Amino acid sequence: MRGRGAHRAAATAVVVGSLILLTLLALPIVALLLRGGAAGLAQLGADRELRGALALTAQTATLATLITVALGTPLAWLLARERMPGGAVVGALLDLPLLIPHPVAGMALLLAFGRASPAGAALAQVGLAIVGSRTGIVLAMLFVAAPLYVSAAREAIARVDERYESVARTLGDSPTRAAWRVTRPLAGRGLLAAAVVMWARAVSEFGAIVILTYNPKVASVLSYDRFTGEGLDAALPVAAVLVILAVVPLLVLRSLRGTAALGEPAR
Amino acid sequence: MRPLGFAILVSWLSVARPCAATPAPRADTVVVFTAASLALPFRVALDSFARRTGTVVHQENGASLELARRITDLHRVPDVIALADQEVFPQLLVPRATAWYVRFARNRMVVAYTARSTAATRMTAADWHHTLLRSDVRVGRSDPKLAPVGYRTLLLYRLAEAHYRQPGLAARLERRTPPSLLRANASELVALLQAGELDYIVDYESLARANRLRFVRLPSEIDLGDPALASWYARASVRVVRRTDATTYSGAPIVYAASVPRGAPHPAAGARFLAYLLSPAGQAVLRAQAVDALAIPRFVGDSVPAALHPSKR
Repeated sequence: MRGRGAHRAAATAVVVGSLILLTLLALPIVALLLRGGAAGLAQLGADRELRGALALTAQTATLATLITVALGTPLAWLLARERMPGGAVVGALLDLPLLIPHPVAGMALLLAFGRASPAGAALAQVGLAIVGSRTGIVLAMLFVAAPLYVSAAREAIARVDERYESVARTLGDSPTRAAWRVTRPLAGRGLLAAAVVMWARAVSEFGAIVILTYNPKVASVLSYDRFTGEGLDAALPVAAVLVILAVVPLLVLRSLRGTAALGEPAR
Repeated sequence: MRPLGFAILVSWLSVARPCAATPAPRADTVVVFTAASLALPFRVALDSFARRTGTVVHQENGASLELARRITDLHRVPDVIALADQEVFPQLLVPRATAWYVRFARNRMVVAYTARSTAATRMTAADWHHTLLRSDVRVGRSDPKLAPVGYRTLLLYRLAEAHYRQPGLAARLERRTPPSLLRANASELVALLQAGELDYIVDYESLARANRLRFVRLPSEIDLGDPALASWYARASVRVVRRTDATTYSGAPIVYAASVPRGAPHPAAGARFLAYLLSPAGQAVLRAQAVDALAIPRFVGDSVPAALHPSKR
């Protein structure tokens, strides 16, 4: 009997704990949608600035995510398979951008890639400026969100048994070819989940972006702009409509995770 | 987690644990919202006030209009609000958020730059506008929709056009700043200038001094700094069009104003800090930080707290 009582208490604790956290997370979203959702959707038709900001946000966040997937997946593989000299140190350093307050991240990017820096001068040669440009937005999103992708991708790859790669190599594959043919499809769902988290984080970024690129405005900057210039009731629809529209790709990608469509062998 | 990582974490936590053994005695607190251009002078004044009185001070900085919105829209009420433009009080805060405000300092507009700005060696007060019009320099200014410094820059350009008798000058100066070089407030412009991203910015003299920037003092007919020229300044006006409304701002001498809003959590402490700020000691602190404190502060409105009455200061 005592065992069953303890079990019931534990089950209750699990449910209550989950409910508390879900409430904490859901209540602000619900409040936002109730206050601004309808107005935001109604505004979409007439408000060109809002549509432009939403499109810009989606484009830049997607580009930042694609770049990170292309460059970050090999890095995650190197880190997961411990094939990188000083990999533990590199892994720890990769978390640092997450520690930096976001406006400070914007300033750091400015110092490193602004036109007064050597890197910025080189970028300017090829016509890329990070201040007041889409490049700046993508760079800021990448800096604050890419560590989330690499970290989650590393875990996803580490969960795939290395012996599968070994088997492929005994059949004549090079290490990278084995990783591409065997590990990438097996880790596919984890990699997709990592990309989804990164994309969502990139969409919401404000602090680093507003330092580099105030115009053209992404949705977060437009929301701040409307709040300051016109007040809360002008700012909330922007944020609410961003949430409503971002839910669609998130739901689609999350549901893809549940299928075997990404090369995960059927069980 | 690997044993080594765990050991490092445990040792770090043992070092980083805050010392909670001796709780501090309950101290008086004052929360102050300050316009970005007042952030540094108020930091010094608040530190000085804290040392004198033992009050715990909290400062929040932002664009003047944003700070007003925090009160009116988010209902986050500080004990003192100090803004870069006295006009924000009648526009947004009086009478609902406060019944009164006090004008306590003035400022003027300057053109600021650094030693490495393009054409820095040729910059003079006499032909600053020629430098700003060069195609190889990058000129930054604040968004007139968000910050008083933004619409004041446009007023300055219009006054320059009248003062120098050069029709079209204001529009040409305005076009020198593309939207990509606009920023939300005066402080962000300074950061971009210091990072070498901009060559020249139009900003407050107090900010230029506080950040040790080079700057040129403009003729008083255009720098909005001389109360005696109020009627001349008023000749210039600028219409700022927002999505749902439009506001026309007329030229006026730059005057900073402050108040203790209704519903302040610590109104007595707020009034005490303002009384200190308006006292000779507080004015000396502001002047040392390049803020031109008014010798005789001017109160507007009624229900001014007794602690701020001139005879009590």
